[in-house]
Amino acid sequence: MSLLDDPKAAFADLSRPERWVLGVSVAFVLFLLVAMLTGALGPTYFLFLVGLAGMYALLSFGLNAQWGFTGLINFSVAAFFGIGAYGTALMTASGSPIAGGFSPLVGLAVALVVALALALLIGIPTLRLRADYLAIASLGLAEVVRLIVLNERWLTNGSAGLRGIPGFFDGWPVLSTFPEAMPGLRLVVIPGSPVILETAFWQAALNVLLVLAFAGAAYFVLRRAHRSPWGRVLRTIRSDEDLARALGKNTYSFKMQSFVLGSLIMALAGVFYAHLNLYVGPGDLDPITTFYAWVAVILGGSGSNRGALFGGIVIVTIREGTRFLNDVALPIDPAPLRLLLIGVVIVAVMRYRPQGVLPPQRELIWPSAVDGGGTPETPDSGVRERKGGDDDE
Amino acid sequence: MSEGALPKEDAVLRVDDLQKSFGGLAATDHATFAVERGTITGLIGPNGAGKSTLFNLISGFYEPDGGTVEVNGTDVTGMEPYEVAEQGLIRTFQTPRKLEGMTVREAMLVGPRKQPGESFLTLFTSPGTVAESESANLAEAERILEDFEIDHLATQPATDISGGQMKLVELARAMLAEPEVLLLDEPVAGVNPTLAKKLKEQIRRLNEQGTTFLLIEHDMEFVMDLADPIVVLDQGHVLTEGTPEGVRNDQRVIDAYLGGGA
Ligand SMILES: Nc1ncnc2c1ncn2[C@@H]1O[C@H](COP(=O)(O)OP(=O)(O)OP(=O)(O)O)[C@@H](O)[C@H]1O
Ligand SMILES: [Mg+2]
Repeated sequence: MSLLDDPKAAFADLSRPERWVLGVSVAFVLFLLVAMLTGALGPTYFLFLVGLAGMYALLSFGLNAQWGFTGLINFSVAAFFGIGAYGTALMTASGSPIAGGFSPLVGLAVALVVALALALLIGIPTLRLRADYLAIASLGLAEVVRLIVLNERWLTNGSAGLRGIPGFFDGWPVLSTFPEAMPGLRLVVIPGSPVILETAFWQAALNVLLVLAFAGAAYFVLRRAHRSPWGRVLRTIRSDEDLARALGKNTYSFKMQSFVLGSLIMALAGVFYAHLNLYVGPGDLDPITTFYAWVAVILGGSGSNRGALFGGIVIVTIREGTRFLNDVALPIDPAPLRLLLIGVVIVAVMRYRPQGVLPPQRELIWPSAVDGGGTPETPDSGVRERKGGDDDE
Repeated sequence: MSEGALPKEDAVLRVDDLQKSFGGLAATDHATFAVERGTITGLIGPNGAGKSTLFNLISGFYEPDGGTVEVNGTDVTGMEPYEVAEQGLIRTFQTPRKLEGMTVREAMLVGPRKQPGESFLTLFTSPGTVAESESANLAEAERILEDFEIDHLATQPATDISGGQMKLVELARAMLAEPEVLLLDEPVAGVNPTLAKKLKEQIRRLNEQGTTFLLIEHDMEFVMDLADPIVVLDQGHVLTEGTPEGVRNDQRVIDAYLGGGA
């Protein structure tokens, strides 16, 4: 985001909900920082949470590229996530029944290739048909993939799952020994509650580095694609596919590209997860992941990459935050409470802000064309900003 | 079948013996006609005569049961809409299509065909080319909006403009696709007289600049003033074709309208 180049101008440019989200995010980060310094939140656990947030962000980026951009209804997010996780696990884990022992880079490549194949397999027969066919087929696909992973023991170890997955950076020069090489640190900011940074912390830091690389790359690609003529065709398809066809766009091809792109990003989330958790099991393909990704995208604002990021973070906050409620005496169990909370959040958002918290806001034209392309006065005035123009700025 | 058809030397669009039925209803019944390059050809007929169906068949949205469609001498029968468009035929729809979440000029930019930035890889391998063509297309879009005297709408949400303005934007966008022949389905339906007059002027101007038009319209005054020749469709087949005066005074046409409308 351009926040870093010119913070003041960037802030002035923000709409009200953007400022609101920014404010809440800053407050939230401060809160976490305080929790960490006072010892309420272990720094290693904190980094683990950041990793999870990045993982959910990847899932919602992927779904956003399908649903948010093009309007493709994909109910098999968990399957692509699982394919990513199992793809790399089967290649790298010591407990893998088929291959095992390969470098995580090979795992990453295999995961992406398998996800690509699966995306094509489901896309080819359904994307020429009406939108609902993909929805139904993907629902079935998710279950088929889950059952295969659960039952084909020779391939996946079945319900026992796969153990002995190496960290992503194992075998890399420098990075593989980085956590051990780093000295243990003991920071005392608040007397009496020192913050201790050990090997596990540095290991978690590496994981965060990995997920930042994945999510950063995905964000960069999606952001550029979204503002391009390519993204514009996708948005036209979402609004009115026949119009795109009448204007000479090969909508089948565009839908396929959007579907494959999103699926690959979801698989990336799975790859990261496998090397974070160091174990994968059939439970990782539960449909709840699909549900979370949809909630994140709808909450953040369909079609908005920032929204997807925001939604992903909110999901992790709710998912992990409710764990702390174990300490508080509650009349109900935190697990159903979590779903209830998500339900309440979704209803509230749909009621008061149906377009999501951070919907795509500005006109999406290739940046240099609007900024330098001889169109004075009107660059960057947003669609929705204008609608509710009086209370902004 | 095509008793009224005039000889066409240089047809940009040729429809031959086209058929389509929905269940037992023959919506297009052995329709044959051609559109001469450089003309504004009108397509009229009572409600339900099969005009829109014919457009859908020509532009590849429906698969014909029989017959052929030729665009610029190329047989496009059974092709996908985008392939028909590649031959230079663009169509609009009877009900205006809205693009949610886009500004007017953004919606306009969907028009140009074969933009380098429509290739995903090019976005990353050659962003300079994308930027160049995007700037050029944006300038062209704004020029056309100016020509249509709706440049003040450029940054308005595309869904927030009036129905008539939407029709203008549709026409303007279709022009960005640089069609050789443009099919307009009821371009002035529901448009106020001032805007309708503007649309008429634009169509005439664009025609003088070389675009061929085939237009469906119920507004007789509009179509008689603008189009020549006029093809009359009734119950899926071509009843006659002729000059506006010829068609107006043709007893079969009068009967068809009375029969269909009564
Ligand atoms: N997809 C479809 N399925 C079934 N019947 C259809 C379909 N499309 C059109 N029809 C029928 O075909 C006939 C011709 O319809 P069409 O829309 O082509 O008429 P039209 O000449 O465009 O009429 P109008 O002037 O009212 O727009 C009508 O009887 C209509 O009900
Ligand atoms: Mg019609």
